[in-house]
Amino acid sequence: MDELSPPILTALWVVPLVVAWLWRPRQQATLSAWLLLAAFGALGAWALWFGLYAQPGEPQGLVFWKPTILYWTLAAILIVSPLLGGGYPAKIILGTYFALSTREWRWLNRGFAALYTLLGGANLWVSSDASYKDWVGFKYGCLMNLLIIVLFRLNFVWLPILADVAIYFYRRATAAYRAVANLF
Amino acid sequence: MPSAERKPDHLVELTWPGRRTQLATLTATGKSGGAGEIFEIDANPGLLAKIYHTATTQAHLEHYHHKIQWMIDNPPELPQVPAEYADVVQLAWPVALIRRQSRFVGFAMRKIAFDRTLELDYLLNRRQAALEGFDADYGKLVTVSFNLASIIHCLHDKRIAIVDLKPMNVKVYKAELYVSILDCDGFHIVADEFRSDAPQVTPEYLAPEFHDKAVAHPQAQDRFALATIIFRLLNFGIHPFAGISADHRNYPPELAGRIKQGLYPYGKLAHKSVRKVPASVHEAFPESLRELFDRAFASTGFSRPSPHEWADALGIYASKQSGYLTPCSKGHLHFAGQPCPTCMRDALIHGAHIRRRSFLARVQTAPARTLRYMRKTLRQTHSSPFQAALAQKSFAVVQLAPATISTRGAIALEILWISGLLITFWWTS
Repeated sequence: MDELSPPILTALWVVPLVVAWLWRPRQQATLSAWLLLAAFGALGAWALWFGLYAQPGEPQGLVFWKPTILYWTLAAILIVSPLLGGGYPAKIILGTYFALSTREWRWLNRGFAALYTLLGGANLWVSSDASYKDWVGFKYGCLMNLLIIVLFRLNFVWLPILADVAIYFYRRATAAYRAVANLF
Repeated sequence: MPSAERKPDHLVELTWPGRRTQLATLTATGKSGGAGEIFEIDANPGLLAKIYHTATTQAHLEHYHHKIQWMIDNPPELPQVPAEYADVVQLAWPVALIRRQSRFVGFAMRKIAFDRTLELDYLLNRRQAALEGFDADYGKLVTVSFNLASIIHCLHDKRIAIVDLKPMNVKVYKAELYVSILDCDGFHIVADEFRSDAPQVTPEYLAPEFHDKAVAHPQAQDRFALATIIFRLLNFGIHPFAGISADHRNYPPELAGRIKQGLYPYGKLAHKSVRKVPASVHEAFPESLRELFDRAFASTGFSRPSPHEWADALGIYASKQSGYLTPCSKGHLHFAGQPCPTCMRDALIHGAHIRRRSFLARVQTAPARTLRYMRKTLRQTHSSPFQAALAQKSFAVVQLAPATISTRGAIALEILWISGLLITFWWTS
């Protein structure tokens, strides 16, 4: 990735987003979805700017706050959205494919909110009280949460999509093969 | 002895029976064995000369001299061949001594027409035999076996044993089906005035009682090797001690070890420790031959069938007039009253081929079937009640909502989701 220039990396990110925009489901998005989109749009723009274009320009000391900012932003959305009647953001995070009851979604949302609040606080506490090495270890330990969500989604969301896509291409390939075979 | 003394083109002297001598010139053929090198004899195109290697010690050369002289003086009486096959050489037996500067250096023997013959080894594989121009069927194989047994019977009558009897040392005339045995100067000979041992052995054809020790009874060894060759000829090259371990207890990986332990799986009574190779067709052999094989491989020493017994048993099948070999519905010759071994073999091989094709087809379609199964599971659209029950069981913890968006829409959402993940990773790492 080091060889790729920032504009190329930006394009590699933006082009799929354009595709996503073009292929977006034509249905009403909930407030929670918009809130998450807005938050991640801002966080993403920040990451893009300071990650690629103005790396040394990031405010001093922010590095210790970054995980907390993300966790608490997510926690805030998870708490505020249901209060505003915007639905449960946990549903967006986990995916809309699971048929859970509203009660189950509510508790799941609360669980996520509590977890992210705690993680944000824990990050600040570890960064101030523990060594830098321990803090880095803690940060990567927290990424395990992310991994669990990824695995969960991989199993229940990505694989079915992949199956659909694979079946689509398989059918196309067999049809093409038959068409070519008929030529001879 | 200096090597220059035996240059190929040097003049040599042939000493025929009756001490008649003849001068001749040798030309190298490029063929060489363990004991000596083969030369053409210019004056006698029907003969070949075997000249012992220069490294042969004087004592060995002396021994060879006596042995070859005895062999020339005492040729065995071989089975009669019809007059039109008079040029068939059944034994590469010495016919003249060869001397150079009055010293014994080798012997002359009748030339075997290599273009009319093939190694018996090739007959163990039908495809290989066909490539060599020999269309092997049971009629021919039984005849070859009969001819081999007959020659060995003649040799044993003269108290001569081959000892290192193996397919590589036997040539078969493609059209006439007579066999020719090579390396006669390595035979074991016992005569009143003379005795010559044969130390050379091949473990795959060595009787169990002679493993790790000298061959005390050369004729018993020949009986074992002959039975092994006949078994292989009739059973598509499968060695009588090739098998599959039935109890997984110390089954020797090499044939020699299995012979030593007597692990013969093709007997009329099944061996408890070893099973037959699935491709074997020994069950299509007549009872008389199966009994001989059982005696050859399940007993020791002179209890094994003699070459004469083999010749007797095979003779009735080798004779076209006897009618003991009959064609099956597909035209293959087989032992009368027995199933056709060639058809059995075809069915076994063909069956394996069909199973292999079916397996490959299943492997090739596995990804598509897996994807179809996964999709049906996720959408809960299994038509089979069993699969539906299985699918419901697997996902009882998480109930999936029916898909309400298109695949494109789902991909769009996932792009956003993965972007979110990357952003999260950047902020938390």
